[in-house]
Amino acid sequence: MSITLDQVTKRYQGSPVVNDVSLDIGDGEFFVLLGPSGSGKSTLLRAIAGLAGVDHGRIALHGRDVTHVSAKERGVGLVFQNYALFRHMTVADNIEFALRVRRMKAAERRQRRQELLRLVSLEGMDERLPAQLSGGQQQRVAVARALAHKPEVLLLDEPFGALDAKIREELRRTIRQVQRELGITTVLVTHDQEEAFALADRIGVMNLGRLLEIGQPQELYARPATRFVATFLGAANLILARQTRDGIRFGKTAVNASAAGPLQGAREHEVVAVVRPEEVEIAPTREDLVSGYLTRGAVEEIVFTGALERMRIRIQDDQEAAPLSNGNGSGSAFLEVTRTQHEQRAFQIATGQHVAIGVRRIHILPTPLSSFTTCATTDALAEALVQQPLLAELASRMKTRISTRVEPKLGMPGADCEGAPEFSGTTVIAAHSDVVYQAQWLLKMGAEEILVLPQNASPPQRVLIHWADEAVRRATLAVAASILRHVSAEAIYIGILPQQTPVAQRPHGMRALLDARSEAQAVHGLEMRTELRFGDVSNELARQLGDMAGQMLILGIRGHADLAERFGSLFAESRWPVLIVHRQHESPAGQAGQLYQAGQA
Amino acid sequence: MAAIRQPSVLPGFGLTFGFTTFFLSAVVLLPLAALVLMAASMTWHDFVHVVFSARAMGSYRLSFGASFLAASINLVFGFIIAWTLVRYEFPGRKLIDALIDMPFALPTAVSGIALTTVFAENGWIGQYLQPLGIKVAYTWIGVTVALTLIGLPFAVRSVQPALLEVQRDLEDAAETLGAGRLYVFRRIILPTVLPALLTGFTLAFARAVGEYGSVIFIAGNLPMKTEITPLLIVIRLEEFDYKGAAALGFVMLVISFVVLLMINLLQAWGRRRIVAGAR
Repeated sequence: MSITLDQVTKRYQGSPVVNDVSLDIGDGEFFVLLGPSGSGKSTLLRAIAGLAGVDHGRIALHGRDVTHVSAKERGVGLVFQNYALFRHMTVADNIEFALRVRRMKAAERRQRRQELLRLVSLEGMDERLPAQLSGGQQQRVAVARALAHKPEVLLLDEPFGALDAKIREELRRTIRQVQRELGITTVLVTHDQEEAFALADRIGVMNLGRLLEIGQPQELYARPATRFVATFLGAANLILARQTRDGIRFGKTAVNASAAGPLQGAREHEVVAVVRPEEVEIAPTREDLVSGYLTRGAVEEIVFTGALERMRIRIQDDQEAAPLSNGNGSGSAFLEVTRTQHEQRAFQIATGQHVAIGVRRIHILPTPLSSFTTCATTDALAEALVQQPLLAELASRMKTRISTRVEPKLGMPGADCEGAPEFSGTTVIAAHSDVVYQAQWLLKMGAEEILVLPQNASPPQRVLIHWADEAVRRATLAVAASILRHVSAEAIYIGILPQQTPVAQRPHGMRALLDARSEAQAVHGLEMRTELRFGDVSNELARQLGDMAGQMLILGIRGHADLAERFGSLFAESRWPVLIVHRQHESPAGQAGQLYQAGQA
Repeated sequence: MAAIRQPSVLPGFGLTFGFTTFFLSAVVLLPLAALVLMAASMTWHDFVHVVFSARAMGSYRLSFGASFLAASINLVFGFIIAWTLVRYEFPGRKLIDALIDMPFALPTAVSGIALTTVFAENGWIGQYLQPLGIKVAYTWIGVTVALTLIGLPFAVRSVQPALLEVQRDLEDAAETLGAGRLYVFRRIILPTVLPALLTGFTLAFARAVGEYGSVIFIAGNLPMKTEITPLLIVIRLEEFDYKGAAALGFVMLVISFVVLLMINLLQAWGRRRIVAGAR
């Protein structure tokens, strides 16, 4: 491995800008770190270069631990967005800078310089000053300069940011060519997904300081695991659907899925479907569709972009399907569609026209958190809970919807629920002293995830994770990973053994802890810290939560009968948000995203 | 006229150039010409007598020597202060930044009196320097201290914007290329801010040469020892020897002009050398 990052964390004024990032980059690999501005990608690159220290974790280059080695000694080449050329030196002097520092002989320096100038096709420019070169040429000089001392690793920080489109493409090609020719391990930071696709062997997508997903470009585009990656890599329509035994159902419409995957869990449940704009089919009538019918809509807007036609279609019957978002976070009842010239010629469309909509390909996100439903005894209370800041923030970051549900007999022993028999997504209730009985009641009625919210809770700084039964480990981790992708918080798994655990049993507890950590990392892409405690579970958790403000608990349980008995004290004070993850049975292993080819029924 | 037509969107080159010439003439050139004329009305013998008298020579040495020394001190410490203000974020930074300009605003007599109070033999600092055998007030050291004080803002304010230009990226780039701190300072930072440093030096020097108010309080004004040329001019005026005063003024004018011109040439040469050099 050329670059190994192990749980690298960097904090700025207390909050993590790089949050527990672990990553292996192979020899000669071209790795692209992709993320919006402020996602921590540049900070991570600077940490690899040695220009920013890390608060936690280790960095190794070619097996050598360089965590505490200065940038000067690391032997990396770094290229900056604004070139950072020494303006008072000629091109030749800029390129020879690293060689001069190393006291190389003049003749050798000149020879190396000629080599490098040829590599970046700038022969004969030796005596120019940076100010006499164009932006693209300056960046070529910067690349040559960064390669002069034969670094083991080349790091590029938004190298094309300051260039216009044409030059950008040309320089992109040069850099890819140079990288192939030298076989040098390269990490490039960018916010431009097209650039990432064009250059990368593998892409790592970052958001809020976390490395969300790593994979080959095609793989990430076709099968993203998270909402963020789905919408950040290209456009995507996120649609709430139900997974049933027969396949995927949007509202009343069942999309005939030819390759239905195994049903997650024992019962049907709500899922988040990704439909790429180019996978949407438009036809005059339902009968004309080649692919599976989804719904009907009216064309709201058409934009001609050259090769493609881009349009927004307003979904007509809200009952039939409920799109979450078009990927830009705006509008909720819209579908984003792109069509090729070929498709345009086959069926010409004008604004305002009514069309039938079909989907060729659906990808189901493996996230267990689909949508939120606030639940209270009256409509007003349920509505008020929708405004709760943490909930509103979570829903907006997850680009999902919050619906309401009124249960007049909420928490009453023996009473039945009055709403629909099925519970969609996460049920949210307001915290108060007796909330644990309401939670227990909801679990009995079939809710699987319950979020208990104190009135003033805000996005947490720290998320504690605990499960009371190993059978719900996977489900709890999946929920935790999903939450932590959308908040900038540290994740800590708390394992608790009874006080009187015999010493011989303790290593077993440690093993369980490490297993949990590696599963979180391998299956859910979640990096978390682990802590082992001894004592009463409820007391220990309460003590940890009381330690500092801004904490949240994710609690996995199996069976709801003894919730109040075992964990009642955690809810009594209603000082922190608690997300209860309840599963009656162990979840099956195959939880990766599923792809459906939809065919005509 | 085609060559100077409309260099900016604002019209009226003729008008603005007219004002420039008029004000420069009225405020700078005419008074200077009057000075030269006045000096020229002396006989050569009288002129030489006044200008090369032992007392006058002593005052030149002190005026220009102390000014040069003060400007050099400001060059070093002005750079350090500017560096601190530009590079670090600390509580009270804005306050210190504002304090730098105080010598600009203070009547120079006030700073002179303040310095004298502090550095006199029984002053706050003077009483501790006294046993060490260092006398500040009423010696050339006092003159230098006063000139340093009034020149400091010039040095700091010239270097500050130049230091802002030296982006952290440049140092970071040099560091990843294997350069040590000293090397980065010598090869990257210094060459970039050198023109600004020289400008600061020039301004501080020019200000010090012309300074009068603050120095006369701390200097003690012993002829040949702690008497600066501006003071000598005032003394001549008080003796109604206008021509003598004009002659001394003329000498200051010539020396200042030559020094400033030399620094400017040095600056231009330095720019070329740095650009071509570093090899």
